[in-house]
Amino acid sequence: MRIEVRRTGGFAGIERRAAVDTAGRPDADSWHALAGAALEGAGDGAGGAARGAPGMPDGFGYEITVDGRTVRCAEPHLTEAQRELVSRVLREGA
Amino acid sequence: MTAYHSPTRVFCTIVPPHLLDRLARSADPAVAAAARRTLVTDEANRTARRLTTVTGVRPAPRGTPAASGEPRRTVFDAEQRTRLPGRKVRAEGDGPTGDATVNRAYAGLGATFELFLRVYGRDSIDGAGLPLDATVHYDREYGNAFWNGEQMVFGDGDGEVFGDFTLPVDVIGHELAHGVTQYTANLAYFSQPGALNESVSDVFGTLVKQYALGQTAEEADWLIGAGLLTDRVRGVALRSMKAPGTAYDDDVLGKDPQPAKMEDYVETAADNGGVHINSGIPNHAFYLAATALGGHAWERAGQIWYDVLTGGKLKETADFATFARLTVAAARERFGDDGAETEAVLKAWSTVGVPTRG
Repeated sequence: MRIEVRRTGGFAGIERRAAVDTAGRPDADSWHALAGAALEGAGDGAGGAARGAPGMPDGFGYEITVDGRTVRCAEPHLTEAQRELVSRVLREGA
Repeated sequence: MTAYHSPTRVFCTIVPPHLLDRLARSADPAVAAAARRTLVTDEANRTARRLTTVTGVRPAPRGTPAASGEPRRTVFDAEQRTRLPGRKVRAEGDGPTGDATVNRAYAGLGATFELFLRVYGRDSIDGAGLPLDATVHYDREYGNAFWNGEQMVFGDGDGEVFGDFTLPVDVIGHELAHGVTQYTANLAYFSQPGALNESVSDVFGTLVKQYALGQTAEEADWLIGAGLLTDRVRGVALRSMKAPGTAYDDDVLGKDPQPAKMEDYVETAADNGGVHINSGIPNHAFYLAATALGGHAWERAGQIWYDVLTGGKLKETADFATFARLTVAAARERFGDDGAETEAVLKAWSTVGVPTRG
């Protein structure tokens, strides 16, 4: 599974991208579970409400792509799973 | 290590330590006094203060001071979590805590409150004494600050690229100015009105810093976020109003993408249509008008911008040209047709390629 995160906006307005390929990783299962939960969150009110809508001033906007399927969310409308996934990918990804 | 977009490099970093703390200990008494003005929290001075506007500036037509005329600040600590507002750590009138981040946030809220009240006669963000709440230590390694519609939120930075977001006082002013915009013109946060929203926050953010330091337009650095980048980054700040596009140029961070002129306007879907990118154009127009007029930028250029923001004619979806025309009208109304102010504003917009006729 390939998980990509693109972060835009923020006070600095500096774009940041990172990706994680879970193939062969010992923690692949936890990545799959987290990615699944993050995509699921995109369909409900919490994550979905922000789709296409401008975020709050200086909030981060995110594009999360999992095996080609992309969801968008913006602060403060991130589910816990989305928040954890984006910070983990940006921290550990390449 | 994750990748930032677009690699390049050029110049060296200056990372000033905490601006106000340092300046308050400056050997230059004028600089030290100005810095202390924002740091000082004692009630004795506060009660002695009079409600005066800056000499030579007529009072703003609206937003006259409400009864209080005193800030009502509260700083909260999110303790590295994301729940807002977090634990209350310093309330109005409390002495400094052992946490420099809390104290900087408190002082920065005060400095911003002072500019709006003393210069523009505006009592807090809403013009009616709104309490000022700020949360620090938001999330872990959070390289950002934002206004969530009700309060300011500051991260500690990732330590790699960004330091503590309470370090530059103009960042605090920038976030509070988003609140002022929300309560006045309420510019939409996308495309050109979004870039205007951003620019207005940079304008009043830098004016908070210039006012606190007592700087003239010539003395000011016109940088947004000076001192925020770590010494591992090649750059001086996040944005330059004087020379948009030159604030940083780093192999990890990329190059400052801001244009200074309309011909270089960046069309993009990212960042709500490039609100932090194209703000360079109105930012530079303000810089040009302010430096053409000279003296304290908050007195004339700042007053004109404030008049437009609060005058009731600026629509939520205004584009650059609409905003520019309104600044010309505001300059005429306040300073007269033949004034240097009107001429400076016309020339500034013309230089950045934004039409003021039509």
